[in-house]
Amino acid sequence: MLRQVKPKNARAKRAVDAKEPKIVENTKQALFVPGQTSNQLLHDAMVDLCALKLPDGKRFNKKNEINPFEDVSSLEFFSEKNDTSLLVFSSSNKKRPNNLTWIRTFGYQLFDMIELQIVNHRLLRDFKAQTVGVGLKPMFTFNGTGFETDPVLMHVKSLFLDFFRGDTTDLQDAAGLQYIISISAGEVQEDKPLPLINFRVYKIRSFRSGQKLPRIELQEIGPRFDFKIGRRQAAAPDVEKEALRVPEQLRQKTKKNVEVDNMGDKIGRVHVGKQDLGKLQTRKMKGLKKKYDQVEDDEEADDEVVTTKKARVEEEEYFNE
Amino acid sequence: MSEIKTVTVEKPVPVTYDLGNLAVFDTNPVEVDLNDLNVDGQAREEALQAVSRDNAQLLINQLLSQPIKNTTDSNSSSGNQNSTMSLIMLPQPSTRLPREKPIPKPKAMTKWQEFALKKGIKSKARDGKLVYDEATGKWVPKWGFNGKNKELDQQWCVEVDDGKGSKKNQEDVMLDPRALDRASRKKLVKKNQKQHERNLKRGVSK
Repeated sequence: MLRQVKPKNARAKRAVDAKEPKIVENTKQALFVPGQTSNQLLHDAMVDLCALKLPDGKRFNKKNEINPFEDVSSLEFFSEKNDTSLLVFSSSNKKRPNNLTWIRTFGYQLFDMIELQIVNHRLLRDFKAQTVGVGLKPMFTFNGTGFETDPVLMHVKSLFLDFFRGDTTDLQDAAGLQYIISISAGEVQEDKPLPLINFRVYKIRSFRSGQKLPRIELQEIGPRFDFKIGRRQAAAPDVEKEALRVPEQLRQKTKKNVEVDNMGDKIGRVHVGKQDLGKLQTRKMKGLKKKYDQVEDDEEADDEVVTTKKARVEEEEYFNE
Repeated sequence: MSEIKTVTVEKPVPVTYDLGNLAVFDTNPVEVDLNDLNVDGQAREEALQAVSRDNAQLLINQLLSQPIKNTTDSNSSSGNQNSTMSLIMLPQPSTRLPREKPIPKPKAMTKWQEFALKKGIKSKARDGKLVYDEATGKWVPKWGFNGKNKELDQQWCVEVDDGKGSKKNQEDVMLDPRALDRASRKKLVKKNQKQHERNLKRGVSK
């Protein structure tokens, strides 16, 4: 735990408030931590991955003696200190060469982690292509059946989507759709190790197609990695449930009694209360006035008739005057 | 190239989209066996690029057919260079991704806020700190330095309460009314501080 310091001025207070948990969260920040056994390739890979993540990425220069699968506490400390919930840790040894450990934290505590070992690579500088601007939201394509079925590949999908998606927005500039991150995996076969994860980044080039929609062509801009999946630590079920909860304020309320039918027509049902037919206003006539209402008793009814006659006579007289 | 470039893509299994995250999920197997290490690197790259292209095309087709919102942004401070931007309105992201931090707990209410809510009391609009002083014809602060609530302190001659009414008033007759006024003000401050402390204990943050 970090020492909690009471902010002494407004600027410090703003900085503390920015770290507080929020209903609509900040963009997840990433931290790249080289391990003691990191090498040149891992360094270059982290530089490239950080370049993709910028401006939400931060890279440490010094090596750290950490073994995430044995003790993750120092990485949790880095996460809290730098307010980064995404961490990438590099290490390389004989058993697991060129290894990147991708860690996510929830509330500065470990959420899940997975090891991805670089098998094939082509770095950003090896591509002689112009890259895209910093801070643009990427598009994603996940190719392969396993991303919907296999828990490990689903973890990989969730991780990469979470890692690179950047700001969440409901408005997207069409001109900002400039590159796509393609993550592919072969078929998952039983009794065989999991397939390699193919990480590719392509720039979108659009051409006139004669229609309204453009024809899309791709150009690889790098970096290119083929990852072999190593060890994995899944999220604890209760933590996962907590982390996936959507705040009540953000939950979309379903509108009652509004449906869209198969034809795409919107149908709304309106409920009016039960109508009181006794108070229904019908055509106004003298004979229907309340005082002429027929009463059940016959005698009284006779009386009524008499009175009505009288009344009529009176009225006639009135008009004659 | 004389070949007509089409914008439509056929897939055996239709792809799914998460337009809020600008993502497309394709469950069709990639044509080249990615697990087979004997496959030539070039062939593998071409296959990956082809499938990515198709999915990018599908995604962009979907995105561009979303409703569009036009905005006018002034680019310069002088405001004579206006440009309209066409922004694609995205739906909510459908893939569930973990949060960074737990959902913040709702703030505890102060005792007064709780009471006001129960009774349906709405706070009055504040009408400023200054108040008109009839005697001097000036606007003076209601409280604080030279505040209106301290005007008794300055006076050389103060009318004394005749001691009628409550028993307490009768006791106070012999005291300096200026000191009495000051004491009552200080008492209010003390009371407010106590209430504040009690609220802090209830978990109300400052």
